[in-house]
Amino acid sequence: MSLIGLSCRIFQIGKQSKIKWPCSHLSSCLQQRLCSTTSEIPKLQHGTSLPTIIDFPSFQTRSIQAPREALVETLYDEDSVGLVSLNPEVFGQLPLLHVMHDNIKWQTQYKHINYNHALSRHECRGGGRKPWPQKGLGKARHGSRRSPLFLKGGVAHGPRRYTTKFYMLAYGNRVLGLTSALSAKFAQDDLKVVRSLDVASSAPEPLLELLEQRLWGPSVLFVHTDDIMPEKICKATETIGHINLMPVYGLNVYSMLKHDTLVLTVPALRLLEERLMHAIYNTAGAHLHSPTQLL
Amino acid sequence: MSSSHGTVKALQMLRRLPRIKLNNLISIPGSTKKSQRGRGIHGGKDHGWGTKGPKHHNRHVPAGYEGGEMTPYFLRYPVQKWAKERYDISYVPLTLQSLQLMVDTGRLDVSVPIDVTQLYNTGLLRIDSRLEHGGVMLEEKGMDCFCTPMNLEVQYASEAAIAAVEKAGGTITTAYYDPYSLTAALKPVEFFKKGQVIPRRFLPPQRHIEYYSDPRNRGYLADPALIEEQRLLLSQKYGYVLPDLEKSLMKELLFQRKDPRQVFYGLEPGWIVNLADKVILKPTDPQLKEYYSS
Repeated sequence: MSLIGLSCRIFQIGKQSKIKWPCSHLSSCLQQRLCSTTSEIPKLQHGTSLPTIIDFPSFQTRSIQAPREALVETLYDEDSVGLVSLNPEVFGQLPLLHVMHDNIKWQTQYKHINYNHALSRHECRGGGRKPWPQKGLGKARHGSRRSPLFLKGGVAHGPRRYTTKFYMLAYGNRVLGLTSALSAKFAQDDLKVVRSLDVASSAPEPLLELLEQRLWGPSVLFVHTDDIMPEKICKATETIGHINLMPVYGLNVYSMLKHDTLVLTVPALRLLEERLMHAIYNTAGAHLHSPTQLL
Repeated sequence: MSSSHGTVKALQMLRRLPRIKLNNLISIPGSTKKSQRGRGIHGGKDHGWGTKGPKHHNRHVPAGYEGGEMTPYFLRYPVQKWAKERYDISYVPLTLQSLQLMVDTGRLDVSVPIDVTQLYNTGLLRIDSRLEHGGVMLEEKGMDCFCTPMNLEVQYASEAAIAAVEKAGGTITTAYYDPYSLTAALKPVEFFKKGQVIPRRFLPPQRHIEYYSDPRNRGYLADPALIEEQRLLLSQKYGYVLPDLEKSLMKELLFQRKDPRQVFYGLEPGWIVNLADKVILKPTDPQLKEYYSS
Protein backbone atom coordinates (compact mmCIF):
# COMPACT_ATOMS: atom_id res chain seq x y z
CA MET A 1 0.00 0.00 0.00
CA SER A 2 1.40 3.34 -0.95
CA LEU A 3 1.90 6.12 1.55
CA ILE A 4 -0.78 8.25 -0.01
CA GLY A 5 -3.21 5.36 0.06
CA LEU A 6 -2.45 4.72 3.72
CA SER A 7 -2.98 8.33 4.64
CA CYS A 8 -6.26 8.37 2.76
CA ARG A 9 -7.43 5.29 4.57
CA ILE A 10 -6.64 6.72 7.96
CA PHE A 11 -8.25 10.05 7.38
CA GLN A 12 -11.10 8.44 5.46
CA ILE A 13 -11.07 11.00 2.68
CA GLY A 14 -10.53 10.94 -1.03
CA LYS A 15 -7.45 11.88 -3.00
CA GLN A 16 -6.40 15.25 -1.71
CA SER A 17 -2.67 14.87 -1.89
CA LYS A 18 -2.07 18.25 -3.49
CA ILE A 19 -3.90 20.19 -0.80
CA LYS A 20 -1.89 22.37 1.61
CA TRP A 21 -2.54 21.97 5.30
CA PRO A 22 -1.37 24.71 7.62
CA CYS A 23 -0.08 23.78 11.04
CA SER A 24 -2.68 25.60 13.09
CA HIS A 25 -5.51 23.85 11.33
CA LEU A 26 -3.89 20.48 11.79
CA SER A 27 -3.56 20.93 15.52
CA SER A 28 -7.24 21.76 15.80
CA CYS A 29 -8.03 18.69 13.75
CA LEU A 30 -5.88 16.59 16.02
CA GLN A 31 -7.61 18.03 19.00
CA GLN A 32 -10.91 17.12 17.49
CA ARG A 33 -9.71 13.60 16.84
CA LEU A 34 -8.47 13.21 20.38
CA CYS A 35 -11.78 14.21 21.81
CA SER A 36 -14.05 12.51 19.29
CA THR A 37 -14.53 9.02 18.02
CA THR A 38 -12.59 7.79 15.03
CA SER A 39 -15.66 7.59 12.82
CA GLU A 40 -15.84 11.35 12.51
CA ILE A 41 -14.12 12.75 9.47
CA PRO A 42 -12.02 15.86 10.08
CA LYS A 43 -13.07 18.74 7.93
CA LEU A 44 -10.33 19.82 5.58
CA GLN A 45 -10.20 23.09 3.82
CA HIS A 46 -9.85 22.98 0.14
CA GLY A 47 -6.31 23.66 -0.92
CA THR A 48 -4.58 21.96 2.01
CA SER A 49 -2.29 18.93 1.73
CA LEU A 50 -1.76 16.00 4.01
CA PRO A 51 1.65 15.60 5.57
CA THR A 52 3.50 12.38 4.95
CA ILE A 53 2.75 9.74 7.53
CA ILE A 54 6.06 8.44 8.68
CA ASP A 55 5.21 5.97 11.40
CA PHE A 56 1.90 4.25 12.07
CA PRO A 57 2.66 0.85 13.60
CA SER A 58 -0.05 -1.43 14.97
CA PHE A 59 0.10 -1.46 18.75
CA GLN A 60 -0.66 -4.56 20.75
CA THR A 61 -2.49 -3.08 23.69
CA ARG A 62 -5.37 -3.92 25.95
CA SER A 63 -6.64 -0.39 25.55
CA ILE A 64 -9.73 0.13 23.44
CA GLN A 65 -8.77 3.70 22.79
CA ALA A 66 -7.53 4.77 19.40
CA PRO A 67 -3.83 5.57 19.14
CA ARG A 68 -2.90 9.19 19.74
CA GLU A 69 -1.36 11.15 16.96
CA ALA A 70 1.43 13.69 17.07
CA LEU A 71 2.86 15.99 14.50
CA VAL A 72 6.48 15.31 13.54
CA GLU A 73 8.61 18.38 13.13
CA THR A 74 12.22 19.14 12.49
CA LEU A 75 14.60 21.53 14.20
CA TYR A 76 16.04 22.90 10.95
CA ASP A 77 12.90 23.52 8.93
CA GLU A 78 9.60 25.22 9.56
CA ASP A 79 7.50 22.68 7.74
CA SER A 80 6.23 19.68 9.58
CA VAL A 81 7.28 16.32 8.25
CA GLY A 82 4.39 14.09 9.08
CA LEU A 83 2.46 12.25 11.74
CA VAL A 84 3.27 9.51 14.18
CA SER A 85 0.89 7.45 16.22
CA LEU A 86 1.43 7.18 19.95
CA ASN A 87 0.58 4.21 22.08
CA PRO A 88 -2.55 5.04 24.11
CA GLU A 89 -1.31 3.00 27.06
CA VAL A 90 1.74 5.23 27.40
CA PHE A 91 0.50 8.60 26.15
CA GLY A 92 -3.24 8.32 26.85
CA GLN A 93 -3.04 7.13 30.43
CA LEU A 94 -5.11 8.53 33.28
CA PRO A 95 -2.84 11.29 34.67
CA LEU A 96 -2.56 10.32 38.33
CA LEU A 97 -1.23 13.42 40.01
CA HIS A 98 -0.63 11.78 43.35
CA VAL A 99 1.48 9.04 41.76
CA MET A 100 3.53 11.70 39.97
CA HIS A 101 3.92 13.45 43.30
CA ASP A 102 5.03 10.21 44.93
CA ASN A 103 7.62 9.77 42.19
CA ILE A 104 9.00 13.25 42.67
CA LYS A 105 9.08 12.84 46.43
CA TRP A 106 10.95 9.57 46.00
CA GLN A 107 13.40 11.04 43.49
CA THR A 108 14.26 13.91 45.78
CA GLN A 109 14.40 11.91 48.97
CA TYR A 110 16.07 8.60 48.19
CA LYS A 111 19.48 10.19 47.71
CA HIS A 112 19.20 12.51 50.67
CA ILE A 113 21.37 11.89 53.71
CA ASN A 114 20.86 14.02 56.77
CA TYR A 115 24.21 14.99 58.24
CA ASN A 116 22.76 17.01 61.12
CA HIS A 117 24.15 15.88 64.40
CA ALA A 118 23.48 17.24 67.85
CA LEU A 119 25.66 16.33 70.80
CA SER A 120 23.94 14.59 73.66
CA ARG A 121 24.73 15.45 77.29
CA HIS A 122 27.25 12.62 77.42
CA GLU A 123 29.11 13.74 74.32
CA CYS A 124 29.49 17.36 75.43
CA ARG A 125 32.76 18.45 76.90
CA GLY A 126 32.84 18.64 80.69
CA GLY A 127 29.83 18.37 82.89
CA GLY A 128 31.18 15.61 85.06
CA ARG A 129 31.15 17.63 88.26
CA LYS A 130 27.99 18.22 90.26
CA PRO A 131 27.47 21.98 89.90
CA TRP A 132 26.25 22.53 93.44
CA PRO A 133 25.35 20.37 96.42
CA GLN A 134 22.10 18.46 96.37
CA LYS A 135 20.69 20.12 99.46
CA GLY A 136 20.96 23.29 101.48
CA LEU A 137 21.10 26.01 98.84
CA GLY A 138 17.39 26.32 98.02
CA LYS A 139 18.19 25.78 94.36
CA ALA A 140 16.98 23.08 92.05
CA ARG A 141 18.98 19.87 92.20
CA HIS A 142 21.31 19.25 89.24
CA GLY A 143 23.98 16.70 88.51
CA SER A 144 25.63 18.12 85.40
CA ARG A 145 26.27 21.42 83.65
CA ARG A 146 25.59 19.72 80.29
CA SER A 147 22.06 18.63 81.06
CA PRO A 148 19.53 19.60 78.34
CA LEU A 149 18.05 22.11 80.78
CA PHE A 150 21.25 24.15 80.85
CA LEU A 151 22.49 26.70 78.38
CA LYS A 152 25.23 25.09 76.23
CA GLY A 153 23.98 21.73 77.43
CA GLY A 154 23.43 18.63 75.35
CA VAL A 155 20.38 18.07 73.21
CA ALA A 156 17.78 15.49 74.17
CA HIS A 157 16.38 13.50 71.21
CA GLY A 158 18.35 15.64 68.77
CA PRO A 159 19.20 14.70 65.19
CA ARG A 160 21.85 12.02 64.92
CA ARG A 161 24.34 11.84 62.11
CA TYR A 162 23.85 9.87 58.89
CA THR A 163 20.17 9.28 58.77
CA THR A 164 19.21 8.29 55.27
CA LYS A 165 15.90 8.93 53.62
CA PHE A 166 16.47 6.10 51.18
CA TYR A 167 13.49 4.04 50.19
CA MET A 168 12.31 2.38 47.02
CA LEU A 169 9.07 3.34 45.39
CA ALA A 170 7.09 0.31 44.25
CA TYR A 171 7.90 -0.82 40.72
CA GLY A 172 4.35 -0.36 39.50
CA ASN A 173 4.20 3.17 40.84
CA ARG A 174 7.41 4.07 39.06
CA VAL A 175 5.97 2.84 35.77
CA LEU A 176 2.64 4.52 36.44
CA GLY A 177 4.39 7.79 37.27
CA LEU A 178 6.18 7.78 33.94
CA THR A 179 3.07 7.00 31.89
CA SER A 180 1.05 9.57 33.86
CA ALA A 181 3.65 12.27 33.30
CA LEU A 182 3.94 11.50 29.59
CA SER A 183 0.15 11.50 29.21
CA ALA A 184 -0.19 14.76 31.08
CA LYS A 185 2.55 16.34 28.99
CA PHE A 186 0.90 15.17 25.81
CA ALA A 187 -2.55 16.28 26.91
CA GLN A 188 -1.24 19.73 27.74
CA ASP A 189 0.44 19.99 24.34
CA ASP A 190 3.87 20.07 25.94
CA LEU A 191 5.12 16.93 24.27
CA LYS A 192 6.62 17.46 20.84
CA VAL A 193 7.99 14.93 18.40
CA VAL A 194 10.87 15.67 16.07
CA ARG A 195 12.37 13.52 13.37
CA SER A 196 15.92 13.98 14.63
CA LEU A 197 17.99 16.35 16.73
CA ASP A 198 19.73 17.86 13.71
CA VAL A 199 19.87 21.65 13.87
CA ALA A 200 20.95 24.15 11.27
CA SER A 201 23.88 25.63 13.16
CA SER A 202 25.85 24.99 16.29
CA ALA A 203 25.28 28.53 17.61
CA PRO A 204 22.79 28.88 20.47
CA GLU A 205 20.93 31.94 19.12
CA PRO A 206 19.12 30.31 16.15
CA LEU A 207 17.94 27.46 18.37
CA LEU A 208 16.60 29.87 20.99
CA GLU A 209 14.87 31.83 18.25
CA LEU A 210 13.31 28.67 16.84
CA LEU A 211 12.02 27.57 20.24
CA GLU A 212 10.60 31.02 20.93
CA GLN A 213 8.89 31.10 17.57
CA ARG A 214 7.24 27.76 18.18
CA LEU A 215 6.26 28.70 21.76
CA TRP A 216 8.29 25.84 23.18
CA GLY A 217 9.79 26.29 26.56
CA PRO A 218 11.39 28.41 27.88
CA SER A 219 12.82 25.24 29.43
CA VAL A 220 13.04 22.38 26.96
CA LEU A 221 14.16 18.80 27.40
CA PHE A 222 15.33 16.98 24.29
CA VAL A 223 15.27 13.20 24.52
CA HIS A 224 17.22 10.92 22.22
CA THR A 225 17.72 7.15 22.15
CA ASP A 226 21.36 7.10 23.20
CA ASP A 227 23.58 9.36 25.21
CA ILE A 228 25.60 10.12 22.10
CA MET A 229 23.81 13.11 20.56
CA PRO A 230 24.39 15.00 17.31
CA GLU A 231 27.33 17.35 17.62
CA LYS A 232 25.59 20.54 16.56
CA ILE A 233 22.82 20.46 19.14
CA CYS A 234 25.33 19.59 21.85
CA LYS A 235 27.34 22.68 21.02
CA ALA A 236 24.24 24.84 20.66
CA THR A 237 22.81 23.88 24.05
CA GLU A 238 26.10 23.78 25.90
CA THR A 239 25.84 27.29 27.26
CA ILE A 240 22.07 27.36 27.74
CA GLY A 241 21.10 26.18 31.19
CA HIS A 242 17.40 25.72 30.59
CA ILE A 243 17.69 23.58 27.45
CA ASN A 244 18.87 20.09 28.20
CA LEU A 245 19.57 16.83 26.42
CA MET A 246 18.80 13.44 27.86
CA PRO A 247 18.86 9.80 26.69
CA VAL A 248 15.77 7.62 26.99
CA TYR A 249 17.23 5.61 29.84
CA GLY A 250 17.57 8.78 31.90
CA LEU A 251 14.05 10.06 31.36
CA ASN A 252 12.27 10.54 34.65
CA VAL A 253 9.21 12.20 36.12
CA TYR A 254 11.14 14.97 37.83
CA SER A 255 12.89 16.12 34.67
CA MET A 256 9.67 15.93 32.67
CA LEU A 257 7.83 18.21 35.07
CA LYS A 258 10.82 20.48 35.62
CA HIS A 259 10.96 21.36 31.93
CA ASP A 260 8.11 23.10 30.20
CA THR A 261 8.36 21.22 26.94
CA LEU A 262 9.46 17.67 26.31
CA VAL A 263 10.82 16.96 22.84
CA LEU A 264 11.19 13.35 21.74
CA THR A 265 12.78 12.08 18.59
CA VAL A 266 10.82 9.40 16.73
CA PRO A 267 13.28 6.56 17.52
CA ALA A 268 13.36 7.70 21.15
CA LEU A 269 9.58 7.69 21.20
CA ARG A 270 9.42 4.13 19.93
CA LEU A 271 12.10 2.96 22.35
CA LEU A 272 10.29 4.61 25.22
CA GLU A 273 7.03 2.95 24.23
CA GLU A 274 8.74 -0.41 23.98
CA ARG A 275 10.40 -0.11 27.38
CA LEU A 276 7.28 1.09 29.12
CA MET A 277 5.02 -1.51 27.52
CA HIS A 278 7.50 -4.15 28.64
CA ALA A 279 7.40 -2.70 32.14
CA ILE A 280 3.61 -2.64 32.20
CA TYR A 281 3.13 -6.18 30.94
CA ASN A 282 6.18 -7.82 32.48
CA THR A 283 4.61 -9.82 35.29
CA ALA A 284 8.02 -11.09 36.42
CA GLY A 285 9.09 -7.61 37.51
CA ALA A 286 5.75 -6.48 38.87
CA HIS A 287 6.56 -7.32 42.46
CA LEU A 288 10.21 -6.26 42.42
CA HIS A 289 11.17 -3.47 44.75
CA SER A 290 14.89 -4.00 44.67
CA PRO A 291 17.14 -0.99 43.97
CA THR A 292 18.65 -2.67 40.95
CA GLN A 293 15.32 -2.99 39.21
CA LEU A 294 15.09 0.55 37.95
CA LEU A 295 12.95 -0.12 34.92
CA MET B 1 -4.24 0.23 31.03
CA SER B 2 -7.41 2.00 31.87
CA SER B 3 -9.53 2.80 28.92
CA SER B 4 -12.55 4.37 30.52
CA HIS B 5 -14.34 7.50 29.60
CA GLY B 6 -12.88 9.10 32.73
CA THR B 7 -9.40 8.99 31.29
CA VAL B 8 -10.48 10.85 28.18
CA LYS B 9 -12.33 13.37 30.31
CA ALA B 10 -9.36 13.93 32.59
CA LEU B 11 -7.04 14.46 29.65
CA GLN B 12 -9.50 16.92 28.11
CA MET B 13 -9.64 18.83 31.39
CA LEU B 14 -5.86 19.02 31.53
CA ARG B 15 -5.80 20.90 28.23
CA ARG B 16 -7.49 23.87 29.84
CA LEU B 17 -5.71 23.70 33.17
CA PRO B 18 -2.34 25.28 33.96
CA ARG B 19 0.74 23.31 33.08
CA ILE B 20 1.62 20.63 35.63
CA LYS B 21 4.96 21.62 37.14
CA LEU B 22 7.01 20.78 40.18
CA ASN B 23 5.70 23.78 42.06
CA ASN B 24 1.98 23.16 41.62
CA LEU B 25 1.92 19.39 41.99
CA ILE B 26 0.46 18.17 45.28
CA SER B 27 -0.48 14.82 46.64
CA ILE B 28 -3.98 13.90 47.72
CA PRO B 29 -4.83 16.24 50.64
CA GLY B 30 -4.69 14.42 53.95
CA SER B 31 -2.82 11.44 52.53
CA THR B 32 0.33 12.19 54.48
CA LYS B 33 0.48 12.81 58.20
CA LYS B 34 3.35 14.65 59.75
CA SER B 35 4.63 12.83 62.78
CA GLN B 36 5.86 15.04 65.54
CA ARG B 37 7.04 14.25 69.00
CA GLY B 38 4.65 15.47 71.67
CA ARG B 39 5.92 18.54 73.53
CA GLY B 40 5.25 20.09 76.91
CA ILE B 41 5.08 18.90 80.46
CA HIS B 42 2.16 16.48 80.07
CA GLY B 43 1.46 16.41 76.34
CA GLY B 44 4.63 14.61 75.45
CA LYS B 45 5.10 12.34 78.38
CA ASP B 46 6.94 9.43 76.84
CA HIS B 47 7.34 10.72 73.28
CA GLY B 48 6.12 7.50 71.80
CA TRP B 49 8.70 5.35 73.55
CA GLY B 50 6.34 3.66 76.02
CA THR B 51 6.72 3.45 79.76
CA LYS B 52 9.77 1.76 81.23
CA GLY B 53 11.87 -1.03 79.78
CA PRO B 54 14.82 -1.19 77.40
CA LYS B 55 13.05 0.65 74.59
CA HIS B 56 12.01 3.48 76.88
CA HIS B 57 15.59 3.97 77.96
CA ASN B 58 16.95 3.55 74.43
CA ARG B 59 18.71 0.45 75.62
CA HIS B 60 18.10 -2.07 72.86
CA VAL B 61 19.16 -5.67 73.19
CA PRO B 62 22.17 -6.35 70.98
CA ALA B 63 21.55 -8.48 67.91
CA GLY B 64 22.34 -12.11 68.61
CA TYR B 65 22.17 -11.75 72.41
CA GLU B 66 20.62 -14.87 73.90
CA GLY B 67 20.51 -13.86 77.55
CA GLY B 68 23.41 -13.74 79.94
CA GLU B 69 23.76 -17.50 80.41
CA MET B 70 24.42 -18.52 76.81
CA THR B 71 27.28 -17.70 74.50
CA PRO B 72 25.71 -16.21 71.38
CA TYR B 73 25.31 -18.54 68.46
CA PHE B 74 27.66 -16.55 66.27
CA LEU B 75 30.44 -16.96 68.79
CA ARG B 76 29.74 -20.62 69.49
CA TYR B 77 29.97 -21.85 65.90
CA PRO B 78 32.24 -20.63 63.12
CA VAL B 79 30.92 -19.71 59.69
CA GLN B 80 32.41 -21.79 56.95
CA LYS B 81 33.36 -20.20 53.70
CA TRP B 82 31.08 -22.27 51.49
CA ALA B 83 28.04 -21.63 53.70
CA LYS B 84 25.44 -19.48 52.05
CA GLU B 85 23.56 -19.29 55.34
CA ARG B 86 24.64 -19.76 58.91
CA TYR B 87 22.53 -22.92 59.20
CA ASP B 88 24.07 -24.51 56.13
CA ILE B 89 25.68 -27.92 55.81
CA SER B 90 29.36 -28.23 56.60
CA TYR B 91 31.96 -30.50 55.06
CA VAL B 92 34.54 -32.68 56.75
CA PRO B 93 37.98 -31.52 55.65
CA LEU B 94 40.23 -33.98 53.86
CA THR B 95 43.70 -32.86 52.81
CA LEU B 96 45.54 -34.20 49.80
CA GLN B 97 48.32 -35.17 52.18
CA SER B 98 46.08 -37.45 54.21
CA LEU B 99 44.49 -38.79 51.02
CA GLN B 100 47.94 -39.74 49.74
CA LEU B 101 48.72 -41.29 53.11
CA MET B 102 45.53 -43.38 52.92
CA VAL B 103 46.66 -44.71 49.54
CA ASP B 104 50.20 -45.35 50.73
CA THR B 105 49.08 -47.21 53.83
CA GLY B 106 46.68 -49.36 51.88
CA ARG B 107 43.49 -47.93 53.30
CA LEU B 108 42.20 -46.83 49.90
CA ASP B 109 41.95 -48.97 46.81
CA VAL B 110 42.43 -46.70 43.81
CA SER B 111 41.48 -49.41 41.32
CA VAL B 112 37.84 -48.54 41.95
CA PRO B 113 36.20 -45.09 41.80
CA ILE B 114 36.59 -43.35 45.13
CA ASP B 115 33.51 -41.72 46.55
CA VAL B 116 32.28 -40.84 50.02
CA THR B 117 31.63 -44.54 50.78
CA GLN B 118 35.26 -45.47 50.15
CA LEU B 119 36.57 -42.50 52.07
CA TYR B 120 34.35 -43.15 55.08
CA ASN B 121 35.30 -46.81 55.18
CA THR B 122 38.95 -45.90 55.75
CA GLY B 123 37.79 -45.19 59.28
CA LEU B 124 39.73 -41.95 59.42
CA LEU B 125 36.88 -39.54 58.75
CA ARG B 126 34.04 -38.74 61.07
CA ILE B 127 31.11 -37.88 58.86
CA ASP B 128 27.68 -37.70 60.42
CA SER B 129 24.70 -36.36 58.55
CA ARG B 130 23.00 -35.71 61.89
CA LEU B 131 25.69 -33.09 62.57
CA GLU B 132 24.69 -31.46 59.28
CA HIS B 133 27.76 -32.82 57.53
CA GLY B 134 27.27 -32.73 53.80
CA GLY B 135 30.23 -34.96 52.98
CA VAL B 136 33.93 -34.42 52.33
CA MET B 137 35.78 -31.27 51.42
CA LEU B 138 39.12 -31.65 49.63
CA GLU B 139 41.80 -29.19 50.71
CA GLU B 140 45.02 -28.37 48.95
CA LYS B 141 47.40 -29.06 51.84
CA GLY B 142 50.06 -31.47 50.64
CA MET B 143 49.33 -30.85 46.98
CA ASP B 144 53.01 -31.13 46.07
CA CYS B 145 53.31 -34.69 47.32
CA PHE B 146 50.07 -35.93 45.77
CA CYS B 147 50.91 -38.29 42.91
CA THR B 148 48.21 -40.97 42.68
CA PRO B 149 45.87 -40.95 39.67
CA MET B 150 42.37 -41.75 40.84
CA ASN B 151 38.72 -41.20 40.04
CA LEU B 152 37.66 -39.09 42.99
CA GLU B 153 34.25 -37.83 43.97
CA VAL B 154 33.98 -35.32 46.81
CA GLN B 155 31.39 -32.80 47.86
CA TYR B 156 33.52 -29.67 47.80
CA ALA B 157 37.00 -29.02 46.46
CA SER B 158 39.27 -26.01 46.30
CA GLU B 159 40.70 -24.94 42.98
CA ALA B 160 44.27 -25.90 43.90
CA ALA B 161 43.13 -29.33 45.06
CA ILE B 162 41.38 -29.90 41.73
CA ALA B 163 44.57 -28.89 39.95
CA ALA B 164 46.66 -31.31 42.03
CA VAL B 165 44.36 -34.26 41.34
CA GLU B 166 44.28 -33.52 37.62
CA LYS B 167 48.01 -32.98 37.44
CA ALA B 168 48.52 -36.46 38.88
CA GLY B 169 46.46 -37.86 36.00
CA GLY B 170 43.20 -38.39 37.82
CA THR B 171 39.72 -36.98 37.59
CA ILE B 172 37.65 -35.28 40.23
CA THR B 173 33.93 -34.58 40.53
CA THR B 174 32.01 -32.62 43.13
CA ALA B 175 28.62 -34.13 43.85
CA TYR B 176 25.83 -33.37 46.26
CA TYR B 177 24.30 -35.94 48.61
CA ASP B 178 21.15 -35.18 50.51
CA PRO B 179 21.27 -36.26 54.21
CA TYR B 180 19.32 -39.48 53.73
CA SER B 181 21.37 -40.57 50.70
CA LEU B 182 24.54 -39.70 52.57
CA THR B 183 23.51 -41.88 55.49
CA ALA B 184 22.97 -44.74 53.06
CA ALA B 185 26.26 -44.07 51.25
CA LEU B 186 28.32 -43.92 54.44
CA LYS B 187 27.22 -47.27 55.86
CA PRO B 188 25.80 -49.36 53.02
CA VAL B 189 25.77 -52.66 54.88
CA GLU B 190 23.81 -51.28 57.81
CA PHE B 191 21.46 -49.64 55.37
CA PHE B 192 20.86 -52.85 53.41
CA LYS B 193 20.31 -54.81 56.61
CA LYS B 194 17.40 -52.54 57.45
CA GLY B 195 15.74 -53.69 54.24
CA GLN B 196 15.20 -50.18 52.99
CA VAL B 197 14.91 -49.13 49.38
CA ILE B 198 17.98 -47.49 47.85
CA PRO B 199 16.93 -43.83 47.74
CA ARG B 200 16.82 -41.58 44.76
CA ARG B 201 19.51 -38.98 45.36
CA PHE B 202 18.00 -35.51 45.51
CA LEU B 203 19.22 -32.65 43.42
CA PRO B 204 21.06 -29.96 45.40
CA PRO B 205 19.05 -27.18 47.05
CA GLN B 206 18.65 -23.95 45.15
CA ARG B 207 21.58 -22.20 46.86
CA HIS B 208 24.00 -25.00 45.90
CA ILE B 209 22.79 -25.57 42.32
CA GLU B 210 25.14 -22.91 41.02
CA TYR B 211 28.17 -24.58 42.59
CA TYR B 212 27.40 -28.06 41.30
CA SER B 213 26.59 -26.94 37.77
CA ASP B 214 29.80 -24.95 37.40
CA PRO B 215 32.46 -26.69 35.25
CA ARG B 216 35.19 -24.85 37.16
CA ASN B 217 34.17 -26.76 40.29
CA ARG B 218 33.92 -30.00 38.25
CA GLY B 219 30.30 -30.14 39.32
CA TYR B 220 28.40 -33.31 38.54
CA LEU B 221 25.63 -31.31 36.86
CA ALA B 222 28.01 -29.43 34.56
CA ASP B 223 28.45 -30.07 30.85
CA PRO B 224 31.33 -32.58 30.30
CA ALA B 225 32.55 -30.65 27.27
CA LEU B 226 32.90 -27.49 29.33
CA ILE B 227 34.68 -29.44 32.07
CA GLU B 228 37.22 -30.62 29.50
CA GLU B 229 37.77 -27.00 28.50
CA GLN B 230 38.21 -25.92 32.12
CA ARG B 231 40.69 -28.72 32.75
CA LEU B 232 42.92 -27.25 30.08
CA LEU B 233 42.50 -23.72 31.39
CA LEU B 234 43.34 -24.79 34.94
CA SER B 235 46.48 -26.58 33.76
CA GLN B 236 47.57 -23.41 32.00
CA LYS B 237 46.85 -21.36 35.11
CA TYR B 238 48.87 -23.62 37.42
CA GLY B 239 51.51 -24.38 34.80
CA TYR B 240 51.53 -28.14 34.32
CA VAL B 241 51.10 -30.41 31.36
CA LEU B 242 47.66 -31.94 31.40
CA PRO B 243 47.92 -35.76 31.17
CA ASP B 244 46.02 -37.20 28.23
CA LEU B 245 43.27 -39.34 29.72
CA GLU B 246 42.52 -40.99 26.39
CA LYS B 247 45.94 -42.66 26.42
CA SER B 248 45.80 -43.51 30.12
CA LEU B 249 45.82 -47.17 31.15
CA MET B 250 43.06 -46.40 33.68
CA LYS B 251 40.84 -44.78 31.09
CA GLU B 252 37.78 -46.90 31.86
CA LEU B 253 38.10 -46.25 35.56
CA LEU B 254 38.67 -42.54 35.23
CA PHE B 255 35.60 -41.92 33.09
CA GLN B 256 33.19 -43.77 35.38
CA ARG B 257 30.52 -41.44 36.68
CA LYS B 258 27.46 -41.92 38.80
CA ASP B 259 24.08 -40.83 37.58
CA PRO B 260 22.97 -37.64 39.41
CA ARG B 261 20.21 -39.72 41.06
CA GLN B 262 22.44 -42.70 41.87
CA VAL B 263 23.90 -43.37 45.32
CA PHE B 264 25.99 -46.52 44.75
CA TYR B 265 27.97 -47.63 41.75
CA GLY B 266 26.21 -50.54 40.08
CA LEU B 267 23.01 -50.19 42.08
CA GLU B 268 20.09 -48.10 40.94
CA PRO B 269 17.63 -46.23 43.10
CA GLY B 270 14.49 -48.17 43.87
CA TRP B 271 16.28 -51.50 44.30
CA ILE B 272 16.36 -53.46 47.57
CA VAL B 273 19.48 -55.45 48.45
CA ASN B 274 18.81 -58.57 50.45
CA LEU B 275 22.11 -59.51 52.00
CA ALA B 276 20.83 -62.65 53.73
CA ASP B 277 19.57 -64.31 50.54
CA LYS B 278 22.05 -62.46 48.34
CA VAL B 279 19.23 -61.23 46.12
CA ILE B 280 18.47 -57.85 44.58
CA LEU B 281 14.79 -56.93 44.33
CA LYS B 282 13.85 -54.56 41.55
CA PRO B 283 10.56 -52.67 41.21
CA THR B 284 8.15 -53.82 38.56
CA ASP B 285 5.35 -51.30 39.08
CA PRO B 286 5.49 -48.74 36.21
CA GLN B 287 4.70 -45.88 38.58
CA LEU B 288 7.59 -46.83 40.86
CA LYS B 289 9.87 -47.22 37.85
CA GLU B 290 8.94 -43.80 36.62
CA TYR B 291 9.56 -42.29 40.06
CA TYR B 292 13.00 -43.83 40.41
CA SER B 293 14.09 -43.17 36.84
CA SER B 294 16.62 -40.40 36.39
